Amino acid sequence: MSMSFLVDTTLCTACRGCQVACKQWHGLPAEETTNRGSYQNPADLSFDTYKLVRMKEEVIDGQMRWLFFPDQCRHCLEPPCKDTAGEESAIFTDISSGAVIYTANTKGLNIADIKESCPYNIPREGADGTLAKCDMCLDRVQNGLQPACVKTCPTGAMNFGRREEILALANRHLAAAKKKFPKAQLLDPGDVRVIFLTAYEPKYYHEYAIASGGSFDVTRHVALRRMLRPLAGPISLLR
Amino acid sequence: MTNHWIDIKNSDCILIMGSNAAENHPISFKYVTAAQADGATLISVDPRFTRTSSKADVYAPIRSGTDIAFLGGMIKYIIDKKLYHQEYVTNYTNAAFIVGKKFSFKDGLFSGYSAKNRKYDKSTWAFDMDKNGVPKMDRSLKNSRSVFQLLKKHYSRYNTKLVSEITGTPEKDLENIYKIYAETGKVGKAGTIMYAMGWTQHTVGTQNIRTMAMIQLLLGNMGVAGGGVNALRGESNVQGSTDHCLLWHIWPGYLRTPRSADSSLAVYNKNYTPVSKDPLSANWWQNYPKYSVSMLKSFFGERADSSNDFGYSWLPKVDDGKAYSWLDLFDAMYNGEIKGFFAWGQNPACSGANANKNRQGMANLDWMVNTNIFENETGSFWKGPGMDPTKIKTEVFFLPACVSVEKDGSITNSGRWMQWRYQGPKPLGNSLPDGQIIMDLGNKIKELYTKQPGAFKEPIANLKWDYLADGAYDPHLVAKEINGYFLRDVTVRGTDFKAGTLVPSFAFLQADGSTSSGNWLYCNSYTEKGNMAARRGQKDAPNDIGLYPEFSWCWPVNRRIIYNRASVDPKGQPWDKANWVIRWTGSKWEGDVPDGGWPPLLSADGKPDPKSKHAFIMRKHGHAQIFGPGLNDGPFPEHYEPLECPVEKNFMNAQRMNPTAPVYGGKADEWATCDPRYPYVATTYRVVEHWQTGVMTRYQPYLLEMQPQMFVEMSKELAELRGIKNGERVMVSSLRGKVEATAIVTARFKPFPVGGGTVHQVGLPWHFGWIKPENGREDSANLLTPNTGDANTRIPETKAFMVNVTKV
Amino acid sequence: MDVTRRHFIQISGATAAGLAVSGLGFDLRPVKAHAQMLKTKYAKETISICPYCAVGCGVIVHTSKKGDGRVINIEGDPDHVINRGSLCSKGASLAQLTENDQRVTQPMYRAPYAKEWKKVSWDWALTEIAKRVKDTRDSSFTFKNAKGQVVNHTTAIASVGSAAMDNEECWIYQALMRALGLVYIEHQARI
Repeated sequence: MSMSFLVDTTLCTACRGCQVACKQWHGLPAEETTNRGSYQNPADLSFDTYKLVRMKEEVIDGQMRWLFFPDQCRHCLEPPCKDTAGEESAIFTDISSGAVIYTANTKGLNIADIKESCPYNIPREGADGTLAKCDMCLDRVQNGLQPACVKTCPTGAMNFGRREEILALANRHLAAAKKKFPKAQLLDPGDVRVIFLTAYEPKYYHEYAIASGGSFDVTRHVALRRMLRPLAGPISLLR
Repeated sequence: MTNHWIDIKNSDCILIMGSNAAENHPISFKYVTAAQADGATLISVDPRFTRTSSKADVYAPIRSGTDIAFLGGMIKYIIDKKLYHQEYVTNYTNAAFIVGKKFSFKDGLFSGYSAKNRKYDKSTWAFDMDKNGVPKMDRSLKNSRSVFQLLKKHYSRYNTKLVSEITGTPEKDLENIYKIYAETGKVGKAGTIMYAMGWTQHTVGTQNIRTMAMIQLLLGNMGVAGGGVNALRGESNVQGSTDHCLLWHIWPGYLRTPRSADSSLAVYNKNYTPVSKDPLSANWWQNYPKYSVSMLKSFFGERADSSNDFGYSWLPKVDDGKAYSWLDLFDAMYNGEIKGFFAWGQNPACSGANANKNRQGMANLDWMVNTNIFENETGSFWKGPGMDPTKIKTEVFFLPACVSVEKDGSITNSGRWMQWRYQGPKPLGNSLPDGQIIMDLGNKIKELYTKQPGAFKEPIANLKWDYLADGAYDPHLVAKEINGYFLRDVTVRGTDFKAGTLVPSFAFLQADGSTSSGNWLYCNSYTEKGNMAARRGQKDAPNDIGLYPEFSWCWPVNRRIIYNRASVDPKGQPWDKANWVIRWTGSKWEGDVPDGGWPPLLSADGKPDPKSKHAFIMRKHGHAQIFGPGLNDGPFPEHYEPLECPVEKNFMNAQRMNPTAPVYGGKADEWATCDPRYPYVATTYRVVEHWQTGVMTRYQPYLLEMQPQMFVEMSKELAELRGIKNGERVMVSSLRGKVEATAIVTARFKPFPVGGGTVHQVGLPWHFGWIKPENGREDSANLLTPNTGDANTRIPETKAFMVNVTKV
Repeated sequence: MDVTRRHFIQISGATAAGLAVSGLGFDLRPVKAHAQMLKTKYAKETISICPYCAVGCGVIVHTSKKGDGRVINIEGDPDHVINRGSLCSKGASLAQLTENDQRVTQPMYRAPYAKEWKKVSWDWALTEIAKRVKDTRDSSFTFKNAKGQVVNHTTAIASVGSAAMDNEECWIYQALMRALGLVYIEHQARI
């Protein structure tokens, strides 16, 4: 079964239940942190932090906005990390869900290339030389449970289900959000299994909110790709 | 909460003011979000832009301590534009009552003020009574001495220009919010208020809430789905612990602690049992003696009978006119008057205002018992900052309690739902449930008094203390005692009950010793039908308004929305046809458990029904109080500045601060208002990642990871003024103490334009303490806060005070 | 132009849009078999209510039936009509509150002028506390106030707490304190 997430940031209150539920379910250790003049902590995703609520303060159209972005692996439909790794025992797509799974066999692969290949800047290397990131709570999903982050979300910001249902839900959420936020959009909905809905341009939320984000120029290929795809319209790219 | 969590989804307009629900009651946002999805407007009013504000449709800033000015302006707006719910106000509130001629208001003072005693003679605020002893009324609301006309006059001064000068809220924001919220005055619309300590922790705390309650009454928002006055309580069982009255001034079920003048049970019952001469007033508290006697029977069992006043004299009396509240307790401790101290599941070294005073007071004790899960700043005060253990004599006993998932028992949430919990793992190590510790300690004390001579043994010897089963504390036995038993075979209301059976509801309690009930409010919670709090029924109300009447149990008598007789018109038909709560079928009520089964005020043909009762059954006269003559600081809320404030004078009236707020005058009680050394307003608050003083969160690595350090939030403007950069460590100081913190410089805080000048404000969480994290430099914001309090409740004013901020 | 592989998703997405997704069914049984094992599968399930704020969210506690019988997971109760399975960050950290090696698990005593705690037994602690209570109470007990009115109280012992206790515990606690004659009885609701 092909699964997907909808992350509606317009509903996220940054309660950070997802961030803790993720650590708790996976038994991940807490990191030593300091307050750096922000509520956001840890500072970034890490080998021990698969889910991170990013927080940014912006004044947009004269209005104060505090934007929350519960970042995680997008579980790409065609994961570049998997192609880069080229080793199915290390990075593979779980056929039952579409989850992109990293194993201990990532050790010894070209870690730098794999990390660099991710359009969303997700994979992180551990001291043991392996890579780690969100695993979609595959154990839960295969046993009919929702991922820990989705289960714990109070407001409906985090959603999970069969891809066609999530795409339909995403379109409904988008239509609702547009009433308040005319620039609301779905981020890369045709390419990823973790579809973010933002109220404003993705640049306000996170450098790597969309695949063409980051400090890179928009390539010719990307421009071409954009012309082929209707922007923020109804999604029909069912997988 | 008059309503409950799920009910928030039914609202048309949600005002979050004096609370930060998204951060401190996060799951409430399931229902805030649901209401918004249904078209409701969310308004956030807060000194800083919070996670709640981030989800709001409308946000407005307000300077801490000026909520009455803000809300008083709304009252003026509602009256000037005639947006109130006329039929509701006329029939269900005391707007029509005529106030006596002695009442007046001038220069910020109500009639009857004594400057010497800082007290009012409230008799000058009395209503005019007719020859039958019923308040005189003018239901046209035109009489110049009517509550409505006095209200209109009182708030005529609260124009938006003046309100804006006081609050620092832009006038256009005030007008916008007034307009949006007043829309809920339309018949069938509901507005709700979600407030918390942002309103209570002020010298005018009670009146902050009263101002909003008055707005809710004017708009017809009390008793209806999606309405009410909703206190978001901060601890899992602070509702239950309040109901059971771990407070000096009340006994379980909000009965009054007897005063020294209450010389016998008869005098006591007479003094606190209100009498109404109005046949249409239910005056529910007329049942007071049934509840007090039943409670005494639960305390002392068979030892209590009519020959000994049911043990009334065995329970302590408080001296008339003296207060024994939190601030007074720590004042007495500081002055060496208290020798022994129980700090049971609480951490006053960090949670109390002016915490340095509390910490120093602890060094004056002979002994302390500290029960907790983790080591904390109270039990270990003797090794804290500035303490020399070799000079501190206080003996401390630390008793390790188990955590909640390791025991059975019930807690009551903010929506008054009593919910049963079950044991998962056994208590870790040698930790024990609090209940076991209390029972064992009680037995040790009883044993000692049996073996040895001692002072006034009777209450200890006679205390009913049979809540162990095979040596283990059994919460079911206590839960049944709290509900109450029939103690003799009796016939009540035509039904026979056997001795030893559980009382079905408080309507069956008696004042003759034939029933027991540890807390009348919980009578109906554990009956012959079983443990009602353990119910898990998933069935909702027929119109899906989220009542879930078969899930857990809620006081009183499983009524999910209290004051629900006001959700219908005088003929018993709901104001809101879709989200109705109760309705009269012509012969009975359907829906929620109604506030009494009496028929509506008017029959279907519009004739008054003499068998009916007024809507607000807990009030002596059956009407909700827009004019509240019982409070210490006046029948109408009035704006006063906090004890410590940034302005020389109150722009609203001639009194700078609440003239009846308690002020302590000792060396440790200093305060500084308009003092150039402490030029910035400060407030305290909580964040989602921690809880209270942090004893139950600072030890969790996952939570400390997200919020590792004490911080202070400030505007970019103030940071520039003080040369402070984001993320730098700074020192925040008041006249009473100082605390180090990391500066969060943010656009979410903005300077306030106040009275032609600029006022800066900062904010700090109060979750930290020196013991954890181990660096010892993260301490409590309460080292800064002043120990004055509300004029009625004496809740400390920790939400508005003055500080300085300097680079470290 | 500095083309990096961060853009691969865009490119591969475009070229692969029309391709079928068959051919991904690698046999990775050892990995998947491990993934499919739920850590809560053989645990005892009990329900409780979150001990933090007063929303009153339901939680499911998974306790190991083997070994030390400790908690292996706590998450939201989906059948609870208020939270429907959701929990905030504090609620989601409940397992870490319970299984925390910094919990105190033995009574402790700090003697006058001592610099350290020492571990003591429950019986010793409660016996000694009872003696202190009796001594202080007996020496401070006030039968009548200055006006000659009966008060039957002691103002030399005070108690604070606790909203962290269950209802039943609160009730017996206040009963004991009032029977002892305390009038300084306060707790979290006052602050």
